[in-house]
Amino acid sequence: MKNNNPLRRRGIVLPVSAIVMLALMFVVSLVGIVGFSPAEALDYLWQGVGGGDTNVIYWNLRLPRIVLCVLIGAVLSVSGATYQAVFRNPLTDPYVLGISSGASLGAAVAILLGLESSFFGVGLMALATALITVLLIYKIASIGNRMHTATLLLTGVCFTFLATAIVSFLMVINQDKMDRIIFWTMGSFSTVAWSDVLILLPVAVLGIAVVLFHSRDLNLLLVGSETAKSLGVEVERVKKILLFCTTLMVAFAVSACGVIGFVGLVVPHCIRLVVGSDNRLIIPYSVVAGGIFLLLCDTLARTVLMPSEIPVGSVTALVGAPMFIYLLYKSKKRF
Amino acid sequence: MLKVKNLSYAFGQKQVLSDISLDIAEGSFYAVMGANGCGKTTLLRCMDNLLEIPADTVFLGGKDITAYTSRQRAMQVAYVAQRPTSDVDFSAFEIVLMGRNPYQKHLQNESQHDWDIVEQCMRMTNTWHLRFSTLAQMSGGEVQRVMIARALAQQTPVLLLDEPLANLDISHQLEILGILTKINREQGKTIVLIIHDLNMALHYCPKLILLHDRHVAFCGDTADGLTEENIAQVFGINPKIETIEGKRYVLVKN
Repeated sequence: MKNNNPLRRRGIVLPVSAIVMLALMFVVSLVGIVGFSPAEALDYLWQGVGGGDTNVIYWNLRLPRIVLCVLIGAVLSVSGATYQAVFRNPLTDPYVLGISSGASLGAAVAILLGLESSFFGVGLMALATALITVLLIYKIASIGNRMHTATLLLTGVCFTFLATAIVSFLMVINQDKMDRIIFWTMGSFSTVAWSDVLILLPVAVLGIAVVLFHSRDLNLLLVGSETAKSLGVEVERVKKILLFCTTLMVAFAVSACGVIGFVGLVVPHCIRLVVGSDNRLIIPYSVVAGGIFLLLCDTLARTVLMPSEIPVGSVTALVGAPMFIYLLYKSKKRF
Repeated sequence: MLKVKNLSYAFGQKQVLSDISLDIAEGSFYAVMGANGCGKTTLLRCMDNLLEIPADTVFLGGKDITAYTSRQRAMQVAYVAQRPTSDVDFSAFEIVLMGRNPYQKHLQNESQHDWDIVEQCMRMTNTWHLRFSTLAQMSGGEVQRVMIARALAQQTPVLLLDEPLANLDISHQLEILGILTKINREQGKTIVLIIHDLNMALHYCPKLILLHDRHVAFCGDTADGLTEENIAQVFGINPKIETIEGKRYVLVKN
């Protein structure tokens, strides 16, 4: 009887991949405009943790960038997987739904209002506009039993256009900050500091914990609202909690590094190919794999054309857009 | 077991059910019949509180169903929807395992006990050989049997099924009715199912709820309810009931 169970235990690889991620973080911290040897890096790391005299480039520029990168990769992937279950559509992620762009609008407004110096100001403003976007999309999506892929995607595209247009306009009338338009539309980690990590970390930990807690409910939502309800899920309440938490994470991620697309689409989909559709595995793996994916993309973004940088969003889009088209092709029967 | 008291339901302006009262005894096997759009599905969904219903209209085990939490209710009533989703990539085993959801806490994994129940329910519905297949790879009848297995895995005293025979060929219809009759007799489950075939209802379902024009036209023994007169009134056809080899059959004249 015991061996009859078709559900293999597929969670063992998780600790291994977490170790791989940490090792990778260390390795990529060595490369860049200024290179470091492993021994130097370990030394700076040791001194930095102890609060002693350390290397400014390594400790104050390189490391926070790498840590933030992993955090944001995790946050975007987990959000993507969650949106895919809540909207019951494999083609959704924070970027495609226009939620990232919605958040960027609030963040841009906050910066122009001079809220940049306040600790959570930008994030909260981003949260406000992102929540409005989610609310509108959810309203549109809950007409009828099942949302048409085309409607959902077009709504997202329109929100992206609208938000990007307003952000561009705001930046142009504030000429001094105009060079940052690219930052908001394509994302960048080039101005990251430890303070960004400190703001995002509690939000990310809280948000991911809540999603993990509801990961079984995500499976049931994927099968359908009514089925989930008849199987004991408080559907409306769970959906609200999940949408709020993921949007919170996305808003703070966007405030820190601008709009980075397709991470939430690419990562959960690749994980699904390996571990199947069970969100109790997809969510934890998303944390690790999302971190690794964005870390690699950012490393490419800052090293390929040294000393200039490519916006990290264009690297993720180079991977993500073809995959999006592939998924669209695969699911065309559902239109 | 399941009691409906003065239930009315409307979708916006459109009244679908008005003043329905029913008393479904424990261990009974009911067929719900009526013309298309007469509110059969709505009635079933109200009986599982899947639609927003006012308090004190549906009672489950003597207690108002709206006072149950989703989880408590899911331990009492299982529901099989009319058109099951088949575009998800879960295996049949995972789908049936979802029936164990009400018994699990957050972050708790299924135990060997849950797996054993799943295997037992899948063997009972003849779906165990499909356990690795996804729904997309199965035929309509196989999907329907997997959904019934999931409802059985919930181990509820009440089982509601919305047209479990739709889109099935005659042998699969008989197979599913056979399974349901068996669990009704052996486990004493209360079963309410929506069905269109008059003869199947006559031969397999001892009790009948006949809906007509938003109201209950008949509720009682199927043999008493499926009369030429009632059928003619509800479906607007011209039937004739004949007895062949001791069994009654509904024939339809043009």
